[in-house]
Amino acid sequence: MRIFKNKTSFNFIGHQRVALFISSLCCVAVFAGIPLVGFNYGVDFSGGTLVEIQFPETVSAETIKEAGTQGGLADLQVQGIGAREDNSFLLRLGGTTQLTPQHAAQAEAAIRLQAELKSFYADLDNGLINLRTANKVDAEMLNREAGTAEAAIKEVRELGESQSGGFDYQIVFSGMAEKLQTALKAGLKEQKFEIRRVDYVGPQVGKQLKNKGIAALIYAALAIIAYIAFRFDFKFGPGALLSIVHDMVLVLGYYLITQREFNLTAVAALLTVVGYSVNDTIVIYDRIREEMARLKGKPFAEIVNLSINETLSRTILTSGVTALSLIGLLIFGVGEIFDFAAAMFIGIFVATYSSIFVASPVTVWLEKYLDKDKKPKAI
Amino acid sequence: MKLGSGWWTRLVIILLVALFSCWFLVPSYYSLFVLKREDRNKLEELEKVLPWWAPPARYRLSLGLDLQGGIYMIMRVDTKTALMKSTDKRSLQISALLKEKNLTAVQVESLPEARQVRLVAADATMAASAEKTLLPEFKDFEVASREGNSFVLQMKATEAMRFETNALEQALLVVRQRIDKWGVAEVELRKLGNDSIQVSLPGHDNPEQARDLIGKTAQLEFILVDDLYPDFFEKLYKENPPAPELGIELRPGPTLSAKESQPLLDYVAGKAPDNRMVLLECEIEQQSPEMMANPNASGASSSCSNYLAHLLEKTVSMTGDSLASADVTQSEKGNIAVSLSFDAQGTKEFAALTTQHAAGPGKKGRQLAIVLDGVVYSAPELKVPITNGQAQIGKDFDSRPREQQLAEAQMLALVLKTGAMPAPVSVGESRQVGASLGDELIKKGSYAAVVGLLLVLLFMAMYYKLTGLVVDIALVLNGLLILAGLAIFGATLTLPGIAGFVLTLGMAVDANVLINERIREELDRGNTARVAVDNGYNRAFWTIFDSHITTLFAAAILFWTGTGPIRGFATTLIIGMSASLFTAIVVTRLINTYLVHGRGAKTVSI
Repeated sequence: MRIFKNKTSFNFIGHQRVALFISSLCCVAVFAGIPLVGFNYGVDFSGGTLVEIQFPETVSAETIKEAGTQGGLADLQVQGIGAREDNSFLLRLGGTTQLTPQHAAQAEAAIRLQAELKSFYADLDNGLINLRTANKVDAEMLNREAGTAEAAIKEVRELGESQSGGFDYQIVFSGMAEKLQTALKAGLKEQKFEIRRVDYVGPQVGKQLKNKGIAALIYAALAIIAYIAFRFDFKFGPGALLSIVHDMVLVLGYYLITQREFNLTAVAALLTVVGYSVNDTIVIYDRIREEMARLKGKPFAEIVNLSINETLSRTILTSGVTALSLIGLLIFGVGEIFDFAAAMFIGIFVATYSSIFVASPVTVWLEKYLDKDKKPKAI
Repeated sequence: MKLGSGWWTRLVIILLVALFSCWFLVPSYYSLFVLKREDRNKLEELEKVLPWWAPPARYRLSLGLDLQGGIYMIMRVDTKTALMKSTDKRSLQISALLKEKNLTAVQVESLPEARQVRLVAADATMAASAEKTLLPEFKDFEVASREGNSFVLQMKATEAMRFETNALEQALLVVRQRIDKWGVAEVELRKLGNDSIQVSLPGHDNPEQARDLIGKTAQLEFILVDDLYPDFFEKLYKENPPAPELGIELRPGPTLSAKESQPLLDYVAGKAPDNRMVLLECEIEQQSPEMMANPNASGASSSCSNYLAHLLEKTVSMTGDSLASADVTQSEKGNIAVSLSFDAQGTKEFAALTTQHAAGPGKKGRQLAIVLDGVVYSAPELKVPITNGQAQIGKDFDSRPREQQLAEAQMLALVLKTGAMPAPVSVGESRQVGASLGDELIKKGSYAAVVGLLLVLLFMAMYYKLTGLVVDIALVLNGLLILAGLAIFGATLTLPGIAGFVLTLGMAVDANVLINERIREELDRGNTARVAVDNGYNRAFWTIFDSHITTLFAAAILFWTGTGPIRGFATTLIIGMSASLFTAIVVTRLINTYLVHGRGAKTVSI
């Protein structure tokens, strides 16, 4: 079996203008979309709480959202995952604990009315208030004064008498996942549900992870370019780099258009696409180098076009088989893994396209440009 | 390549590699399919069921937290805040010392953010004498600047760094202690950078409990050991013998000991006399030299080999707030001890405490337990009253190897040193997966892998016919090699790892496609089957090499920057790419060469 019965001689380089136009249009659209639409950042990057929940019976996303809103979770996002009959949902919350600066201030004012405070410190990240009073107070009182409907208290701990005078107490507020559970139990009286997964990422860690992800992509691109420059020739580098960037941008476009969650798995998908894209480009570059040695004197553009044609069936075959291997993941994958497979799927096709229509033409242009400089010397 | 004697060597090598891979998958098979679910993380259970010829149990493919359920947490240790608090405390101690030396006119101001203490004296002479008084006492400080009648002391950078390291060590200790109390099978704790701790709790999915790890800051306390009920444990043991399966033993002391903390705590719960409580001491296992050389290594399940019960008074005699410093000292004879010194307030309290309870004419000295976060670390006897605030603990370190004595002394010093000034700990990241979701993901993941693999195998056989079947053999071997590779490195299988496995097989096809397309080209040029196969492999080699190396770059960077499941993906990709090089260049070449050279096939079925 063969894809092409005979040798192909498509004029790829000749159509580069059309390709360039399409590619640029898509890339510009994505770049414009980033500030206009924005990514749907997952908790990995934005910080917050992510809860996966499953119901034994049919429930609509709206019902869940309503129950959450009634329970004081204004920013609750509900998204169905998997098949409809799975009744599984991903719930996302911006905050991480129920303690907000306003609550802390309210609690402080309320406690001051009842007891003499020596110190008061609200640890918002952990949902804790540490306080020291001049005289021994009743834990029940602290519970009453500091707790509100929105910020429920899990526990008041008596930490005993301090050596430097005063009594220490610690108020522990419930986490967002607990608050969500309470809200849903109250709002969906008849429904049982199971919490299957809880992801929590602190705001600072989120920022770190984001920087790390961006750094990883940049390092990968640089390392690959350095390798190409070392193994091939300087003029091959920019084409490969441009095609990597092109592929990354278009895969980002997938996350932008579908508004699927952009998280660490998405970065992994991007990096894998980068690896795949270079892989594809290198096979064509290798052939170009080989044909340059064999067909000395032929115009460079012709050699490039010939090389693309010679490797065409391999290019299509590899992309096809790799895409084939992803089909299982697309069928059975849920949530992040489905997104990973879908992004890879798109990445494979984009990478195949870009190694033919981006990497190779750029190399031809560079050759032309460098040639112009060289010519006077040659004569 | 002609078929020579080298051919046989290659064949034997390939067969050996395949056999070796299967052999290395034996522990994984037993772990995943033979062991009961709840025993899956217990190496010793696996060791029991493994046949004698199998590789050691540690070479097994374990399931990642996303597949078996569990909690993964990154805890951030706020060493900066602890350092600032410590500077504040040192400034209080400075002003106390100045008061003692009648230099009351010197103003002391703490600048915690810069680790500095500013002192303003009435005149330059007084400043100079204050400096002369302070420097020998506060060796961790140096003079940062002088100006007329004022000067600034700053904590030395090396000291600050040591303090931060200690704070992280201590937070690790406290977290480990608290997790020990839950009795979780396989806990993995490791330091991450210089301010984070990574906690993995497989099979444990109660996030409420996880919050206990950070709820309360650990307290260092000095508590007197009971002396009214010396035979409490003996009587308890005789009158109310514990069930033998709990493993509780009576030891001379008398005291009770057990391998696990929870049964022992349950057994004594509610039985202590009035105003007395039972706390446990953790006896540290004899550490192997390599474990001590690598303190970053995860302390597998628990650092305690044995728990000892102590009957203590309920009232706390002193807290660690007044402790100024603690260090390991060695006498000229080489005896190892831990010396500690108290600040002015602490010296007074400690003097009163020791005067009352130390050994004297006709009376035995009481024992004073050092307790951190509810765990007893040492209970030295008070031999003499200590009024100068300088104490020494010379625990009976003598009978054991010197390295272990030193390690124990260092541990005690660490507890004392930072116990007084614990660094606040917060949860930076926490991922918790329920066991039912894990099961479902395993099922879906394996379906996905099987479907992907079958589609690829089928397509290859259809497209390349006999040569396609050769590719299929290579792909199956490739899959085997990846799994064995993961098992050898003791890697964990995660959901992204399964995705990586599928994708890698897809990409491994590429090398074979490159070769086969080359062979077809060579055939089209009118070459004979032999020449076509040989040229196909030779010409495709560098292309394959280059394309694999670049993918490896991307994978290596992913491994380096990623955490948790993503790392699993990168590991799979790295092993898969390396395996693909081997199967495509060595294995298929051998078979194809055999077909055209050995069997003399005139055509290539491609």
